[in-house]
Formats: sequence, C-alpha cells, structure tokens
Amino acid sequence: MKDRSGATAGQVIAFRSKDFLKWCDEVLEGVLRRSPVGSGLDYITKDFFNWATRNSLYFLHFGIMCCALEMAVASAPRFDQQRFGIIPRSSPRQCDVLLVNGPVSKKLKPALRRLYDQMPEPKWVIAMGECAISGGPFYKSYSVVPGVDQFIPVDIYIPGCPARPEALIDGFLKLQVQIKENKKGLLTGK
Amino acid sequence: MADRGKRGQEGDIERSPSRIDSVPEERLIRALMNAFPEAITGFLKVRNGLVRARLDRRDLFKACKFLREELGFEHISMISAVEYDDRFEVVYHVTSYKDKLLLELIIRTPKDDPSVDSVSSIWGGANWQEREAYDLMGIKFNGHPNLERILLPRDYQYHPLRKDFRGD
Amino acid sequence: MAEMWINMGPQHPMTHGLWNLRVKVDGETIVDAQPEIGYLHRGIEKLCEGKSYPQIIPLADRLCYGSSLTWSHLYCMAVEDLMRVEVPERAEYIRVLTIEMQRIVSHLMWLAAYAGDLGLAAGFVYTMRDREVFLDLFQSLTGARITYNFPRIGGVAHDLPPNFERDSLRALSYFEGRLKEYEDMFEGSKIFMMRNVDVGILRKEDAINLGVTGPTLRASGVTYDLRKDVPYSVYEEMDFDVATHKDCDCYARYRVRMDEMWESCKIMRQALQKMPKGKWRIVAPRNAPVGTGLARVEDPRGEGVIYVVGDGSERPYRVKIRSPIFVTVSAAPKMLIGYKLADVVAIMGGLDMCIGETDR
Repeated sequence: MKDRSGATAGQVIAFRSKDFLKWCDEVLEGVLRRSPVGSGLDYITKDFFNWATRNSLYFLHFGIMCCALEMAVASAPRFDQQRFGIIPRSSPRQCDVLLVNGPVSKKLKPALRRLYDQMPEPKWVIAMGECAISGGPFYKSYSVVPGVDQFIPVDIYIPGCPARPEALIDGFLKLQVQIKENKKGLLTGK
Repeated sequence: MADRGKRGQEGDIERSPSRIDSVPEERLIRALMNAFPEAITGFLKVRNGLVRARLDRRDLFKACKFLREELGFEHISMISAVEYDDRFEVVYHVTSYKDKLLLELIIRTPKDDPSVDSVSSIWGGANWQEREAYDLMGIKFNGHPNLERILLPRDYQYHPLRKDFRGD
Repeated sequence: MAEMWINMGPQHPMTHGLWNLRVKVDGETIVDAQPEIGYLHRGIEKLCEGKSYPQIIPLADRLCYGSSLTWSHLYCMAVEDLMRVEVPERAEYIRVLTIEMQRIVSHLMWLAAYAGDLGLAAGFVYTMRDREVFLDLFQSLTGARITYNFPRIGGVAHDLPPNFERDSLRALSYFEGRLKEYEDMFEGSKIFMMRNVDVGILRKEDAINLGVTGPTLRASGVTYDLRKDVPYSVYEEMDFDVATHKDCDCYARYRVRMDEMWESCKIMRQALQKMPKGKWRIVAPRNAPVGTGLARVEDPRGEGVIYVVGDGSERPYRVKIRSPIFVTVSAAPKMLIGYKLADVVAIMGGLDMCIGETDR
C-alpha cells in the first residue's frame, strides 16, 4: 500500500489500480477458489445462482435473416418471450446466449467468431433455423458456411424454415432444462 | 446460346411522319436512329413501353449521355452481365419517368476483354451496380471511381457467376 | 475536434440485418459515411442456375423476407414473360389481393422496428400485434407466416379458403381503425416529430440521379409508382392514389408509407369485390424457350426487376435480380452528411432496409 502524502481530503490511503487487482486476485484465488470456503459458498449458492441464470437468459440482439423476424415477433405481445426472462441485449459482453438465426456467409464468419469470443462465460449458443444448422436452402452455395457448428460449439438446434416463435420459446425452455441439469458452481466451477 | 425473342418486327419501323409523335416508343427509336446511325442496331419494340436495341460498346458513353440529356431518361433501372459461349453481354435497362418507357440496351464484349465504359458519371445509381457486375462476373468498367468488390470479401480470388467457376 | 471513423455494425441494434455503416464524425456531426454490405451474400443468382424453374420460387421468397410474396410473384411474372404464358384472371386478382396484404404487413414490420428504435416502445408493441392479424390470414391461405411459397408459374398454388373474404373484410375494418390510432400516437409524440422533421433531407434531383426508388423517391416529390405508371397484373382496374409528399425528410417517408397502407386497404377491398370465378392456375410448360423475360414490380421498398435468360431447357441460364435497397443504400451518404450521430437511426431506419434483397 502506498501512503499518498499531500493528497486531497478523503484520499489518505489508496491502492494503485495494478496493486489492487493483484490483491483481488490473490484473495479470491486463495480464499475462495482453492479453499473449502469457496466450495462451501458454492454449495450454498449453487442452486440459487443456477435458478437465476436459467430464468434470465439474455440473448444478443443479432438478426441475420428470416428467422430474425420470428425472433423479433417472439418479443411481441402475442408470444411474449419476456415473461420467461428472455430479453435481447445490444452488447455481446452482457449476454448469455448467442442466437444464430440465419445463414453464415464467409464474410461474416470472422465477425461472428469474434462476437462469440467477446461473450463472457457461462455462455450458450442456439442455432435457430435450417440455415444455421446446416446451411438450409443455400447449402450448395459458394459463399455460405454449411452450418454454424463448423466453427462455434452449439448447444440447442431449433429446426424450421423459418422456425416459429413458439419453437424458439420451446428451444429456450429446453436450454433452461439443460442448464438445470448441468449445475456448476460459479466460484469453483464444479 | 440465347437468341433474341421474335415478338414484333426486327428493325422494321415505318418512317411515315404522321405516326412519329403519337407513339413514344417510335419517337425514341427515331431519335436514336438519327443520332447514332451505325452504332445502334437491331431495334425491337418488345411490347408497349419496352424497346430493345443493340449498341456498339465504343459509343456507349456518348449514347448514354444523349439518352440522359436530350431524351430525358433519368433513371437507370438495372445493369446486368450475362456470359455466353463466345461473348459477354452487358444489358442496361434505362427508364424515362415522364414518357414511362423502358429501353433495354445490349452491349456485346469479346470473351477475352470484358470491359466497357462506366456510366456512373451520367447516372449516380449505376455506381454500385457496376461494382456488383465487376465483383460477380468480372466485367471491368473503365473510368469507374471506385471499382472494388462489394458483395464478396475483398481478397476473394474468383468471379463466381462465370460459367467456369466450380467452387473454391 | 478530432475526427474519427466509427463502425456501426454488422452487429448493431439499429441495423436490422447485417450491414456495416462506417461514419466519420467530427465531434457529433457526420462528415462522411461509407455503407458496407455483403455479409449476407448467399449466391442466389448462381444457385438459380442449378435449379428448375419451379424450384426457384422458395429461393425467391427468401430474397426479401420482409415482403416475400412480392419477390416470388415478381419471379413468376418474369418466367411467365419468358414462356409467354397467360395467367387466368382469378389468379391475377388473388395475386393483387395478397400482394397488397403483404405490403401492409411489410410496412407494419417497418413501423414496429422504426418506432422501437426511436424510443416509442408502445409503437413496437401495438404494430406487432396488428401484424399478427394479417399473418393469421396468410397462414389460413398458404400455411406459413413469413416465406409462403404461394405463387406458381401460371397462377397461384391454390384457391382462397372458405370464408377468406369475410375474414379479410373483418381484418380490414379492424385495421383501418387502428391505423387512425397510430397516426395520432406517432404524430402526437413530440419526440418522434422532433427526430423526424427536417432530418435526412434528400432533394428531388439527388434522388432521381442516385437511382432511388420507392417511398423514398415519392417522399422527395416525384410521383412515380410502377403500379400506376407501368401497370402490371390487374392494377389498371384498381382505383387508388399514389402517395407522395413534398418535404424530403424522414417525416415525409413515414407519411408516404402510412398513406400507402391506407391505399392498400382500398385496393384489397376492390380486389375482393371484383374477383371473378374461374381457374386459379394453368400448368406452365416444363422447358422455357430460348429468349429473355423481364418483369418489374413496385415492391414496398422500391422498384424490383428480374431478368431471366432461358436456353431451351428446364433450368434458367441466368437470373438477374435488381434490388431497390441496393441502390438506395448507396445514396445514404448524401442523406447523412451534416447531421448528428443520433440521426443515423432515424435516417437509415426510414429507408426500410432489408438486407436479404441487397446481398442476394
């Protein structure tokens, strides 16, 4: 810790940001992750955090083709996916789910991979519609990647051309079941 | 491979003065034949409102300027590129808003030199359409301000719409 | 102030569809703009060369998925022009009825996205719900909600189901009441008006020169509508006005589209009234003659053209598609320069971009 003499009122003892981060790492790593304190906390909170995660799946506001219209309609009053906690967010850094809803062209492939890498863990990927599953009606085309699972691991596949909004909501519910079955503690990852 | 359709008469337009001003298609054919006697050939009134003509590619820029400025064809609808066995054809569809006419101009280029003059300085709407014809078919437009690929990635090697493209 | 380039897209909540807009800003004011497209290129024109004529109809649907019936109809019209096939009259009336219903659906989708982007979330919610009324009608007619695969070369796939006329008239009278409410809701919102009036001006000469067509051209004062000026199908029998506006700003484009929805309701009523009895489809030949076919329609976004080259076999030799938004987007820099960064949403949203047809 550095004592800042000559500092303004209220700023007597302060960390430098680099030292603070190092301290955080050591404390969290040592106390929480590697010791029984971490596993104990995980044991208590695992179910609660898992319930919170699966009931508030935020997906990325990313529309590629026709299935994106059904994705938008699923937020509309008739189908209303927001009552399940499924809300679109604009930035990939705030999302849990990447919803790929159209054919991925070779020009888009690096951008989509970068979006996937920008999302923080835990994250899931849903391939919506035939084009994302296998290339769809364009699978013979020279500029379409035949299926998004060629370069991104996919958890849920929703068939349909276009997939109906009810099918999308059903896909999200199946993802919720999958998340519930694979419970992992947030601190220790077990 | 594909031939012109056989509707209407091929280049067989009456020259009687009484009919000229009443029918806009014939007025157009007349004006073009007077201004470019050797360059534009093969007139065909396909149906009401659609006239087809062939144009020599060396006179493309002058003919388009004439169309825009003298005859009032303000809008270019579409620029297509078609590849045949022995030639390329670049097809221009030009519209006149006030006369409600569509003129289909067909330009032939040899197979080993598919290049025509760019008309993007006459009609601004031709800019991206020419880029697309270059991108997908490989037709070069002389004098285009920014002839780059538009739909495919910048470093793509091929022109996919050509008949000898077999996938990369 | 330093100038810098900002990338808006391909993933951006404003861009409905995948495209990139690079704007050069000086402070908050836009100095230059470069749209980049091509992220959704699927090579449809090349795919068409390997499929037979009827197999291309579902592909044509997926060109512009916001108004998919218009594109499959346009493709069928081009092939009918190539094969010299006459469509029966009942099929023409069914086509006009469904095309106008598709126009209403497409404009409602635009309005929902536009209102949602500009902050009027109530606009998104109401227009989406009313769009479902027409999607239910389409579902009873064709079985699908977005990409219908309904037209055929030589007519339409099947006849209208029973009670379709009664249900459509009911939907229309419900919708016309709601349309009046929308006008009051949008034009009564001060923020909506402030974000739209005098924003994104595109003068008449620039609009004509840059090849812009559709509501954007009519909002700049040019009265040109392919349904009226170069009538196709049975539009000559229909009595309707062409919606134009003389201010060339975003409010004018919004106003033109609302007027078009009113006119579509009128045309739908007339089509239902005048529909004759008879056949709804004739069987077209399998092989096309050697020659070319051309068709132009007034898509909800502008002028769509398809040019088909036949070579005597059952597959086309070349299919060329002209998309209205492809050319309108190239005119975007003219509309953007001089305005603030927050106006990009209103200006580009007002163009009603559907990237499926742009990139093909």
